Amino acid sequence: MHKLIFTALSVGCFFMAAAQPKGFKPVANVPAFQQSLSKSTASIQSIQSDFVQTKHLSLLADKITSKGKFYYRKEDKVRIEYTTPYQYLLVMNAGQIMVKDEQKTSKINTRNSKTMQSVNRIMIDCMRGTVFANTDFKVTAFESGSNYLLSLVPANETMKKMFRQIDVYLAKGSLDVDRLTMTEQGGDFTDMDFTKTQHNVALNEGLFKVR
Amino acid sequence: MRDCLKFASLACLLFLAACSNPYKHLQPAQASSSAMRYQPHLTKELYRCVVDGRVLFKKFHLSGLLLFKTFEDGSTRVVFQNEMGFSFFDFKWDKEDHFEVVSIIPQLDKPALVKTLQKDMNLLLMKNLDVKTEQTYRQGKALFQRFTLEKGYAYYISDSNQLVRIENAGKSKVITITFSGKHSDAAMPEALLFRHHKAHFTIQLKQIVPDAE
Repeated sequence: MHKLIFTALSVGCFFMAAAQPKGFKPVANVPAFQQSLSKSTASIQSIQSDFVQTKHLSLLADKITSKGKFYYRKEDKVRIEYTTPYQYLLVMNAGQIMVKDEQKTSKINTRNSKTMQSVNRIMIDCMRGTVFANTDFKVTAFESGSNYLLSLVPANETMKKMFRQIDVYLAKGSLDVDRLTMTEQGGDFTDMDFTKTQHNVALNEGLFKVR
Repeated sequence: MRDCLKFASLACLLFLAACSNPYKHLQPAQASSSAMRYQPHLTKELYRCVVDGRVLFKKFHLSGLLLFKTFEDGSTRVVFQNEMGFSFFDFKWDKEDHFEVVSIIPQLDKPALVKTLQKDMNLLLMKNLDVKTEQTYRQGKALFQRFTLEKGYAYYISDSNQLVRIENAGKSKVITITFSGKHSDAAMPEALLFRHHKAHFTIQLKQIVPDAE
């Protein structure tokens, strides 16, 4: 009987350890962490940073890299501008999404689509640090010596179709988002690494115009 | 009056007959080598991809990146993803050109569409061509090297020993692929345009040179 309990516990521990990202341990006091995150993001009116996006194609053992600039303004304005090796622009503002490739501009009213609302919401929450309040995902917090990691697993079928998991890496000191990793169901994943992050820079309203 | 009507009807019929078969005036010819010399030998190529078309009265527009990659085992993969890294589809051909859909989003998972995209890639990459059926024709300066497909033909059209165009046709044209910047027989072009005459959509590809690391 003791052997059985010991085996069950060992197996249980193994699976718990496997779910824990390498180099990270669960945050001991999640409410305290949530509080410091809320306090930090409350003081941020805007964010400007560079980013490098790397799409990892697991079955192809290959990757595709692009670069651009990221802008956020409270409460819900996001601008993601790809500059190399292609031009592409995504602007989110008050429930509207504008996408501009090299040939055409498209506008989407997220009110017409629950999926687009969820995508809009999770992007804003990731950058605002308000992911714990997002009901489309189950959030688990981990920490290492230098980072916090928020692992978001989809809680509904709509998001499950799009993502297996989203990981948000925050620098421990500043609580800035260092990296966003979006993993698809098939195993391919996209890293967005943010650098030269600046807070509360005056951002022109024109950056977030959806036209 | 009756003669006029007869003449007009005959003229209309002749006009329609001429329009319906664009290959009517091809003359049998000899080629110095098989069109298979134009088959691209690629390791990895990345393109900006823009798809425009219409379904009934509704227009659609899709953009992203198209990655071609060949592996040591002779297999080829073609992956289409959007600019933010989200995959639309992943197609595979093994070394014997057997086709497989590795993954595809539900919105594009329609048999007719998959078949069309498969055919586009087959034509471009010169896969699944029965070389025993190759025949050569000439029209003016252009050389038409034709392969028989399950339905219709694939034409590889060259001028002065340079491939200028690929066409798929039966009684009328189905797909036309035009390109520029094909710097050698075995190279992939720098830019391509796939025009689907019956399905009413186009695919534009523009080669991306990745940033040096």
